[in-house]
Amino acid sequence: MTRQAYDQALAIAPAALRAPWTRRARDAVLLLLALAALVGMAIDLQLVPGALMTGFGKLGRFLGEMFPPSSGGQSVRILKALAETFAMAFAGTVIAALVALPLGVIGAKTVVSNPALHFVFRRFLDVFRGVPALVWALILVSAFGLGPFAGVVALALADIPNLAKLFSETLENNDPKPIEGVRSAGASPLLVMRFGLAPQFAPAATSQTLFFLEGNFRNAGVLGIVGAGGIGFELDERIRIFAFDEVAFIILLYMIAVACLDTLSRSLRNRLA
Amino acid sequence: MSVTNPTVEAFERERRRMLIRQRTQAAVGLAIFTVLLLVSFQRSQFFGSDIGGDPLGRMAHFLQRMNPGLKPELLLEDRQTRGSLHAWFYALPIWLRAAWQTVEMAILATAMGSVLALGASFLTAQNLMPFAPVRFVVRRILEAIRTLPDLIMALILVAAFGVGPLAGVLTLTISTLGGLGKLFAEINEEIDPRQLEALQAAGAGPLKKIRYGVMPQVLPNYASYALIRLEGNLAGAAALGIVGAGGIGLELQRAITYTEFDTYLAILLIIIAMIFLIDLFSEAVRHRLIGLEKA
Repeated sequence: MTRQAYDQALAIAPAALRAPWTRRARDAVLLLLALAALVGMAIDLQLVPGALMTGFGKLGRFLGEMFPPSSGGQSVRILKALAETFAMAFAGTVIAALVALPLGVIGAKTVVSNPALHFVFRRFLDVFRGVPALVWALILVSAFGLGPFAGVVALALADIPNLAKLFSETLENNDPKPIEGVRSAGASPLLVMRFGLAPQFAPAATSQTLFFLEGNFRNAGVLGIVGAGGIGFELDERIRIFAFDEVAFIILLYMIAVACLDTLSRSLRNRLA
Repeated sequence: MSVTNPTVEAFERERRRMLIRQRTQAAVGLAIFTVLLLVSFQRSQFFGSDIGGDPLGRMAHFLQRMNPGLKPELLLEDRQTRGSLHAWFYALPIWLRAAWQTVEMAILATAMGSVLALGASFLTAQNLMPFAPVRFVVRRILEAIRTLPDLIMALILVAAFGVGPLAGVLTLTISTLGGLGKLFAEINEEIDPRQLEALQAAGAGPLKKIRYGVMPQVLPNYASYALIRLEGNLAGAAALGIVGAGGIGLELQRAITYTEFDTYLAILLIIIAMIFLIDLFSEAVRHRLIGLEKA
C-alpha cells in the first residue's frame, strides 16, 4: 500500500486501520480480570492439581476394569429395571402433559388477555422451570418412600412448568384464520376447538410431549440414585462396590435403549410435522 | 335425489377409504398408548397398594410437612422462636456460601467446556477440517458424551476424585464440551466462505484464517450459546451436589437426611432464586450481544 493510499484509507475509515489503543488496552485488562476471576474461583473450590492427578489415575483404572462388560448373571433384573425406568418416564410425561395443558391455556396471551395476570402467571411458571427432576425426587422419596412412584411425580413436577410454557407459546402462535373460518360457518365453540384449533395445536403439542418423553427417559435413568427406582438404583449400587464391568454393561444397555427411543420418537415427530 | 356423476362417486369412495384408514390408524395408536400407559402405571406402582395407595392424600400430607409454620407476628424474632424467618432460614450464611460455590462450579465448567468445545468445533467443521477421519472420530466422541447422562458420569467421577466440587466441575466441563462442541461446529459450518477465501488469497496460514476469518463471524453466536449453557449448568451443578459433587446440592441432601422438610423448602427457594438471577443476567448479556451483532 502506498503512503498516499494509506492516508486516504485512514481518512475514510480510521478505525479499520488503526485499532484505538484505549480499546485494545481495555480488552486486555478485561481478559486478564476474567482469567483472574476464574483462577480465584478454582482456588476457592480447592481444585488442586494433586487431587486431579490421583483422580485421573483412579479413573484410568476404573475404565480399564470396564472391559469386558459383564451382566454379572443378573440380566433379567437389569432388564426389569430398564422397563421400570421407561415406565417412570412414560407415566411422568403423560401426567405432566395432562396437567400442563390447562395451565398452558391459562398462560396463553390469546386466551387470558389481561397483561398483568399473564405476566404473573408466566413468572410463576418461570420460577419453577429451573428446578431439576432430581431435586424434586430427593424430597419426594423421603415423603413417599423408596420406589418408582416418587420418580414419576418428580419427573412430572419438573416437566409441568416447561410444557405449560411451550403449550401456551404454541397456542399463541396458532393461525387465527382457520378458527375464524370455522366460526363464520356457524360452528359452536366446541366445534371451533375441534376443527379450528385442534388440527393446528395437537400435532405441535404431541411433538413437544414426545420430545419431553425422550428427555425424561434420560432423567429417569438417574433418579434411582436417590432411591426413586429404575436403572439408576442398580447403577449406583454397582458403582459403590466398584463392580465396573457390570456398570459398563448397564450403561451400554441404557445408552442403546436411549438411542432406540430417540429414533422412534424422532420418526413419530417427523410424521407429525 | 341421488348423485350419479361417476367422478363424484369415485371421489366419495376415495374419501371413505381415507377416512377408514385414518380412523384405524388413530384407533391402533390409541390402543398402543393405552396399553403402554396402563403398564407404565402398573410397573411404576403409581396406584400400588404396598405403598398405601391414595397418591393425592400423601401429596397433601407431604406439602403440609414442607410448611415452615411461619407466624406473622413472630416473623422478625430471633432463631430460637419457632415461626420466625430466622428459625426457618437458620443456616442462611452457610447456604449462601454453598450456593455461591455452585455458581462458581457452573461458571468454571462453562468456561473450560467452552474453550474445549472451541477446539473440538474446528476439528469437526466440514469447511475448516479437511481431514475426514479426524472429523469422524471427534464427532463420535462428542456424541457419546451427549448420550451419557451427567449424573451417571458424576457418580463415576465422584468415585474417582472423591466427594467435593472437583468431580462436579469435571462432569459439567465434559458435558459442556459435548453439547457446545456440536453447536459450535454447526455455527462454524454456516460462516461466510468469502472472508476465508480473501485471507487465503492474501496468503494467511490456518491459524490466521481462524483468527481473522472465522472468529469475528462466530464469536457473538458462541457467547450466546455458552450463556444459555451456563443457565443449564447452574441447575445441573445444583443437582450434582446431591450425588456428592459439592455445592448447594449437598445441603439439600443433608436437610433430607435429617428429614427437615421445611429446611429443604428454604434451600429449594435459594436454588430457585439463584437460577432466576443467573437467568436474568444471562438474558441481559445475550440481548446485548445480539444487539451488537446486528449493529
